[in-house]
Amino acid sequence: MPSSISSSDAAVIVPAALPPVSAERAAAADLYARQTAADRPGVAQPVPRRPVPEQPWGRILVGAVVILALLVGGWEAYWRAYGVRPSLANSYGLWAIERRRIDAGEGDATVLLGASRVYFDIQLKVWERLSGRSPIQLSFEGTSPLAALEDLAADPNFTGRVLVGVAPDVFFSGFEFRGGAIRYTRKESPSQRIGQWLSMTFIEPFFAFDDPDFALQTVLKRQPWPKRPGKQWFLDVRKLSETGLHRDTHMWSKVWTDPEYRALARSIWHQDFQPSPDDPTPEEARKTEREQIARAAAVVAKLRAHGVKVLFARLPSSGEYLAYENREFPRGRTWDALLAATAAPGIHFQDYQELQGYYLPEWSHMTRAEAERFTEALYGIIVRDFWKPDGAAAPPAAAQR
Amino acid sequence: MVFNSLTFIVFFACVLGLHSLPLPWTTKKINLLIASYLFYCAWNPPFVILLWVSTVVDWYAAQGMVKARRAGARHAWMVLSVVANLGMLGYFKYGQFLLDNFSAAVAALGIVYHPAHYDIVLPVGISFYTFATMSYTLDVYLRRAAPAQNLLDYALFVTFFPHLVAGPIMRPTELVPQFAQPRRASAQQLRFGLALMTLGLFNKVVLADSFLSRVAERVYDSDKIPGTLDAWAATFAFSGQIFCDFAGYSTTAIGAALCLGFAMPDNFRFPYAAVGFSDFWRRWHITLSSWLRDYLYIPLGGNRHGARRTYAALMATMLLGGLWHGANWTFVAWGGLHGLYLAVERALRARFSNYRPSPLVFVLLGLLTYTLVNVTWVFFRAKTFGKAWQVLRGMAGQNAAAAPILATFSLITVAGIVGALVLTHWLMRSRTLESVVARAPAALVCAVWALMAFAIIIAQGTGNAFIYFQF
Repeated sequence: MPSSISSSDAAVIVPAALPPVSAERAAAADLYARQTAADRPGVAQPVPRRPVPEQPWGRILVGAVVILALLVGGWEAYWRAYGVRPSLANSYGLWAIERRRIDAGEGDATVLLGASRVYFDIQLKVWERLSGRSPIQLSFEGTSPLAALEDLAADPNFTGRVLVGVAPDVFFSGFEFRGGAIRYTRKESPSQRIGQWLSMTFIEPFFAFDDPDFALQTVLKRQPWPKRPGKQWFLDVRKLSETGLHRDTHMWSKVWTDPEYRALARSIWHQDFQPSPDDPTPEEARKTEREQIARAAAVVAKLRAHGVKVLFARLPSSGEYLAYENREFPRGRTWDALLAATAAPGIHFQDYQELQGYYLPEWSHMTRAEAERFTEALYGIIVRDFWKPDGAAAPPAAAQR
Repeated sequence: MVFNSLTFIVFFACVLGLHSLPLPWTTKKINLLIASYLFYCAWNPPFVILLWVSTVVDWYAAQGMVKARRAGARHAWMVLSVVANLGMLGYFKYGQFLLDNFSAAVAALGIVYHPAHYDIVLPVGISFYTFATMSYTLDVYLRRAAPAQNLLDYALFVTFFPHLVAGPIMRPTELVPQFAQPRRASAQQLRFGLALMTLGLFNKVVLADSFLSRVAERVYDSDKIPGTLDAWAATFAFSGQIFCDFAGYSTTAIGAALCLGFAMPDNFRFPYAAVGFSDFWRRWHITLSSWLRDYLYIPLGGNRHGARRTYAALMATMLLGGLWHGANWTFVAWGGLHGLYLAVERALRARFSNYRPSPLVFVLLGLLTYTLVNVTWVFFRAKTFGKAWQVLRGMAGQNAAAAPILATFSLITVAGIVGALVLTHWLMRSRTLESVVARAPAALVCAVWALMAFAIIIAQGTGNAFIYFQF
């Protein structure tokens, strides 16, 4: 009876047509050649050989470290010369830190939700100066706030107030560019939490190049490669902001100081204003709008039952962006319908003189100075008409809602 | 924690520091054991209990086998070990899959049954450490190996962090003897180990994550129908991604172990230069294929009971090997295709036993092997059979009206990286990495090492988990 580990049996794993180099010849040619478990069927496997190639490894290591330091230094200098300063990465890990504040004793805080306009245009330090408390910033660029709002509604620890930014093209389409934050927060491992802390303590505050916009693949991808016939070409959104602790974010100065970069940012938005084969049909778009409004109504009702106050806010846009929003998401069909369905109060920038006339370099977000001024004006309207400041009596308008 | 994370860098620096202190060898082993448990807990602390269960059950099963006087008792201890390990694996990895298939099967009989969805979380690396611990009891049962001398050495064999969650799947005889005597890496081993870790992370962070994975995602995770070029490009991209991801992990693990003075076995030997599928499996995930051969194929009869039984054992081994990768019928199809390839190759070899290919035909057979391996990757990567058929139809030129999906940059990326990868495998197919490094000028080694480290840093990897962690 043939052995179960006879050569013919080994042909299951061992090919009959091995390369025309015998093991002996290979071993003679290669001092480091060694067998693997594939060569030893059906036996106890011995302690592996792990030879170190003969080289002056000490000098190689020192040389590699020196070259690496020079390369990294050069890369850092290049991006600093481009106008980049170190800032924190707007990562899910950073979002998770803020989200956990609600479960760590700040359940009665004011939470800011929305897309990039709430993220860039509401300045946390200004808000804190005016209110005495820092709000929790949970907005994400290009991302509908409804999932985060539903997450808050499901959290019994949350009893505070929510300002929900409504960027029409994001909110009413249900688009979620960064839709994984809630799931990430729930599943974040101890290793990821430590990694986030290490990164925001020892890496991000010191290295300007550590930004997704300057990652190797991203930089290579945006080079002027030939266009593939039939393939629609989209420029990805470029770096627009700088982020600090508590996700306090403002527009990157290059957007308003560099005309070329500002034009680039506008041209990227402009892509969205053109019809695309990937666009939904008008019927599909209307259906999605109705679904998002119904979803908002359900979650607001749930929050209201918990005693949570929800205030919607339509922050400013301008130029071609505003024209696009007015054309594709007219106020009556979207904003007004949202407030009617949710029976929640709202602030539309076009209804308040104080919220108009700000400079939005790329039509969608404000410069830092403008954002500070805007935050002050917005907060003033909120406490005047909707929410009482901490410790004060409720304003009449809020009491009715 | 994953190797490609800041947490691991700090963890590994602490472990290296501790291991180099002038402490008794037993203390150093205890340090390594605690570090390995911390490494595992960094994902999901409660699951370390499963690791302990697996360790303790197999430790006592092996002891029981040694002390047993009757063959039946030895057999019973072996069965206990296998049932405990496969039971854990079955519950956590295949529980929902089995329930879903059961409800589908009874539905076919007209019975409506909707089992509760348990949302079972898969403990990281369970497929790897259960296979490692089973090899311990099975080697003792088969009298290939003596049981470990003490529980500390055995627990460290199971838990040793470089191989714990994604292999290489180690046998007790490969690692336990290394714990018998004090080991500390020489300066040369430490430096070469660091170079291997850099190479492994370059494969993972730069090639797999930054470039290739996105191309595969754009086609495989999209609802768009791919044309011929997109379907092939995405599949080639995945072939490169999974190699760079998994071989990158193995290389990093081998390097990490070497930095501590331990040797781990090769897990890959330039598989995309394989000529034939048995050759492929001697080069791809070697520690799994040899595990399946030694503990499944040979016990199923191997080639001892005639051709029909041999083919049946071969196919059963590959189907189960496919299922090992994930609780989805697409993985079974992947394993089945490889089983079919191996069976056809075996039959052809028997029919044309004297055939020796010319060099040109040899290379063409290698390219044919690589092409057919790519066909199997379609089932491995696609989440559903529907998507797999869609991509296969694209590869066969049947989606003529499909609009382009991938941009020029993606196509260039795939052609450049995967082309270079396959060419490298052919140039290296009869060589070892060490021999090439030894012959290279030191300045070149130094520059390549620095460039790989630089690429890792500027690629800004986001700590994506390795593909094989989910298996």
